[in-house]
Amino acid sequence: MTATVDEATTAPEEIKGRSLTQIAWGRLRRDKTFIASAIVLLIILLVALFAPLITSWLGLDPYATDKTAISTSGGKPNGPWGGASLEHPLGVEWGTGRDILARLLYGLRISLLIAFAATTLVVILGTLFGIISGYARGFTDAAIGRFMDLILAFPFLLIVLALSGAMTQRLTAMGIPEGNASRITYLILVLGIFGWPYLARIVRGEVLSLREREFVEAAIAMGASTPRILFREILPNLWAPILVYATLLLPVYIATEAVLSFLGVGVLPPEPSFGAMLSESVQFFQLVPSYLFIPGTLLVIVVVAFNLAGDSVRDALDPKAAK
Amino acid sequence: MVKSKATLAIGIAAGALILAACSGGSSDGGSASGDSSTSSSAAPSGDGQPGGTLTILSPAEQILSLDPQVVYTGEDLAFLGATIQRSLTAYQVAPGDAEGTTLVPDMATDTGTASNGGKTWSFTLRDGIKWENGNPVTCEDVAYGVSRQFDIGLTEGGPVYAVSYLDIPTDADGNSEYKGPADGTGQELFDAAVVCDGNTITFNLNQPVPDFNYAVTLGFSAVPADMAAGVEYGDKPMSNGPYKIQEYAKGKGGKLVLVRNENWSPDSDPYRKALPDSWVVNFGIEESVADQRVIQSSGEDEYAMVQGLTTASLPIVFEDPQYESRRIDAFDPYSIYAAVNVEKIPDEKCRQAIGVALDREALLLNAGGTYAGEFADGVVKPNIGIDYAPTGLWDGLLGQPVPGTGDPEFAKKLLSEGKDCPTEITLDYAQSEDSDKAAAIWVESLARAGITVKPNPIERGQYYGVVFENGNEIMTGGWGPDWPNASTVLPPLFVQGWNLSRVDDKAFAEKVSAASVELDRDTQATMWHELSKEAAQKMWVVPTRFGRDQRLAGTKVGPIFSWSAYGSYPYPIMYAVQ
Repeated sequence: MTATVDEATTAPEEIKGRSLTQIAWGRLRRDKTFIASAIVLLIILLVALFAPLITSWLGLDPYATDKTAISTSGGKPNGPWGGASLEHPLGVEWGTGRDILARLLYGLRISLLIAFAATTLVVILGTLFGIISGYARGFTDAAIGRFMDLILAFPFLLIVLALSGAMTQRLTAMGIPEGNASRITYLILVLGIFGWPYLARIVRGEVLSLREREFVEAAIAMGASTPRILFREILPNLWAPILVYATLLLPVYIATEAVLSFLGVGVLPPEPSFGAMLSESVQFFQLVPSYLFIPGTLLVIVVVAFNLAGDSVRDALDPKAAK
Repeated sequence: MVKSKATLAIGIAAGALILAACSGGSSDGGSASGDSSTSSSAAPSGDGQPGGTLTILSPAEQILSLDPQVVYTGEDLAFLGATIQRSLTAYQVAPGDAEGTTLVPDMATDTGTASNGGKTWSFTLRDGIKWENGNPVTCEDVAYGVSRQFDIGLTEGGPVYAVSYLDIPTDADGNSEYKGPADGTGQELFDAAVVCDGNTITFNLNQPVPDFNYAVTLGFSAVPADMAAGVEYGDKPMSNGPYKIQEYAKGKGGKLVLVRNENWSPDSDPYRKALPDSWVVNFGIEESVADQRVIQSSGEDEYAMVQGLTTASLPIVFEDPQYESRRIDAFDPYSIYAAVNVEKIPDEKCRQAIGVALDREALLLNAGGTYAGEFADGVVKPNIGIDYAPTGLWDGLLGQPVPGTGDPEFAKKLLSEGKDCPTEITLDYAQSEDSDKAAAIWVESLARAGITVKPNPIERGQYYGVVFENGNEIMTGGWGPDWPNASTVLPPLFVQGWNLSRVDDKAFAEKVSAASVELDRDTQATMWHELSKEAAQKMWVVPTRFGRDQRLAGTKVGPIFSWSAYGSYPYPIMYAVQ
C-alpha cells in the first residue's frame, strides 16, 4: 500500500478504502437492470407528481364527462379500443366518457402517495420497535414481541374492510377532513400499522448480533447513553436491510391499494384509482379489453420496476456479493 | 312496490326491500311516450305445451322472503304469485300496458263487490281451492293471512294496505290497536273488520277505497289458519298454487326448486296455465356469467332466463337481430329519483337549485342511455295510464326551461333567492360501480353551481335501512306503483310509507286524502295530476329517469314480453318449448 510519491502519480488507480455506500453505489452504476428500472421509476414518479400539469397540457380532464365520445344507447364508447382517438389517447370510460389517460395518471398519484406514506410509516415504526426490542432484552423484548405476534395474527383484509366505515368516521371526528382525506389517511394507517412488525422482526434480528459487537461494547464502556448507542452506533449499520425492505414493500403496497379500492374501501368518486378502474373493467372485458390492459399494464410496470430496483439495491448492499 | 332489479341486486341480504343502485337517471319535460311495451313479442311459436323445466339465473343469494305478507318487489310478486301464492285478484297476463294491468279474478269468483259507498268490499272464494297438503283453502285462511300484516315484527318491509284501510281503531301514536294473530290483542276488532260468511270474505274499511280490489293483490294472500305461521314461514310457505317447494337452499350455488302441486286443480284456477313441470331459480350466479349463458343458450340454458342484463351485455344483445325474438326492452314500472331531505333543506328554492344544476343527461347516459329510459318529469310515470300528465317540470314550471344537462346559472340564481341554502351536501347511494360513476356526475355537475357534493356510498343490502334511519341531504331511490293508480305513488312517497324526503306538508296530505277517496276515476286522475305537479315543483325529489328494463331468455322459453303489471316476465303463462 505504501508507495513513493512518483509511483503514486503514475499508478493507474490508487487502491483506497471505500465505504459500504461507495461500494454499493459503484455496483449499482454498473448494474444495467438497476439503471433501466430506475429510469422507468423516475419517469413514473415525475409523471405522477406533475399529473395535473401534464393532463392540462394535453388538454385532458380526469373528471369531465364527454357525452360526444359515447353512444346514446348504452353509453358504449364510440370506436374501438374504448374510443381511443387523438382527443382521448387511451380511450374513454364506459357510460361517462371520462378520459382514461387522465384518470390513470391521477390514479397513479393516489396509489403512489398511499404506498410511499405507508412505507414510511412502516420504516419508522418497524425500525424504532425493532431496535428497542433487539437491544432491550428481557421483559421489553418479550412484550414487544408478543405485541407483534398479536398484530400479525389479525386477519388483515377482514379488519381493513370491517373497520373502514367506523375508523374513517373516527378520523373525521379527530379533525381530518371528511371524505377522501380521511379515507386515504385510514388506508395509510392500516397499511402502516399492520405492516411494521415484519420489518421490526428483521431489524431486531440484526440488532441481536450487532449489540454483541466490539464497537457497541466500546461505546458502553465509554459511558455512551442508550439512545446514543441505539441511534448513532447501531442504526447506521441497519440502513442496508431497511432500505432493501422498503424498496420491496413499496410495490406490494401499490398493489394492495389497488386491491383495497377494488374491494370498495379506496377513494371516493369522482377520484380515480387503479383498483376501481380494474374492478370496473371486468364487466366490459369482452367488449373493451383495453379497460383491463391499460391500468393492468401500468400496475405491472410499476411493481416490476420497484421489485427489480429493490433486488439490485439488495445485491449491491450485500457484503458477501462477488463484485 | 319497491324496485329490486335483479341485475343490480347482488348484495341483498335482508332488511328493507331494495332499490339497488339507482342513482342514475335524468329527465327532461314530459317527453315520455305513453306506449311502453315495445318489446318484441315474437315468441317461439304456439301457445306452448306442458312439460319441461324453466330456469331463472339470479345474481341474488335468495328470494328476500317467500312469506306472502312480506313479498313486495315486483319480480317476486309476479313469480311467486304465478307459482305458489294465489291471491283474491290478479292482473291479466298479456302484452300492452292496459291489457297487462287489467284486474281479473284469481281465488275470488269475480273482482270484488263494493258497497256502502266503497267502504265495504266482499269477495267470494272459488270452490275446490286446496293447499298442497290437500286441505281446502278457506275464508278463515285468507282472514288469517291478512291478520298477519298487523304483526309488525313478522312482516317488516311488506305491504301494509290492510293496516291502512281496515276499520280498526288506532291508538294515540297512530298504531293499530290490533297487534296481530300471535299477540292476539284486539283480535275482536280485527274479527269485526274482516268477516267470513261461508266462502265470502267481507272487508270493512275506515274510508271509501275505490280500488281496494287492487290492494288485495298485495299481502292479502291466504296462510293456513291452523299453522301459527311465524318468521320461519318466509322460508317454508305452504303453497296453494300449481307448484310447491321441493328444495330451497340459499346462497351462492343454492337454488329454489318448484315442482307440481298435485292438489292444485286447473278447474279452480282459470288464471294460471302452469305449463312447465318445474321451475328452478339458481342463486348467486355472477351477472356477466348469467348473461353469457343465456346469450349462448346451449344445452340446459335453452330454458334459462335472466331478470336483467348488465350494461356490457346490452350492445351484444341489442345490436344483433338473432336475439330479437328472445329479448325484452320495455319501460318497467319504476321512476328513478333522488329524494331531497326536506328536514335538512327546508327551503324550496334551495331544493330546486339542486335539481336545476344536476346534469340529468349525463346520468341517463351513464345508466345506459336509451336503454336506461327517458328523462322523468315527476314520480308518476306515463305507463301508469290516466293518472299521468306531463308536469312540465323542466319546461318552465320552475320559471324557465331547464336543459337536460342542467343550468348552473339558473341554479345560482335560485340559490341566491333561497334562504340559508347549504353549499355542501351529502349524497347517499347504494354502492356499485355504476352508481359510483353517477355520484361523480353529481359532484361535477353541482360544483358548476357552487354546491359541493360529498358522496356517501352505502352497502347495497343495508341501503334503505341506513337512509331511513339516518339519511343525508340527497338519497337516491326508485319507486313503482302498486297498481295503476297514483294513490300508490304520491301518498307513500310524500305522506307516509316510503317518505325518504321526510315531507311533512299538512295541506298536501289533506289534498292527497281527498284524492284517495274520490270515487270518480276521471276526477281523481285530474286531482293526481295537480298533486304530481305540486310535488314536482316543490322538488321533494329530483326525478331523474323513467326506467326501462332489458332482459333475455333462452331459445326455448316462451312467450317473451314484458308484463306491465310488474315489469317482469309473464310467469303465469310461460312455457318450455318441447
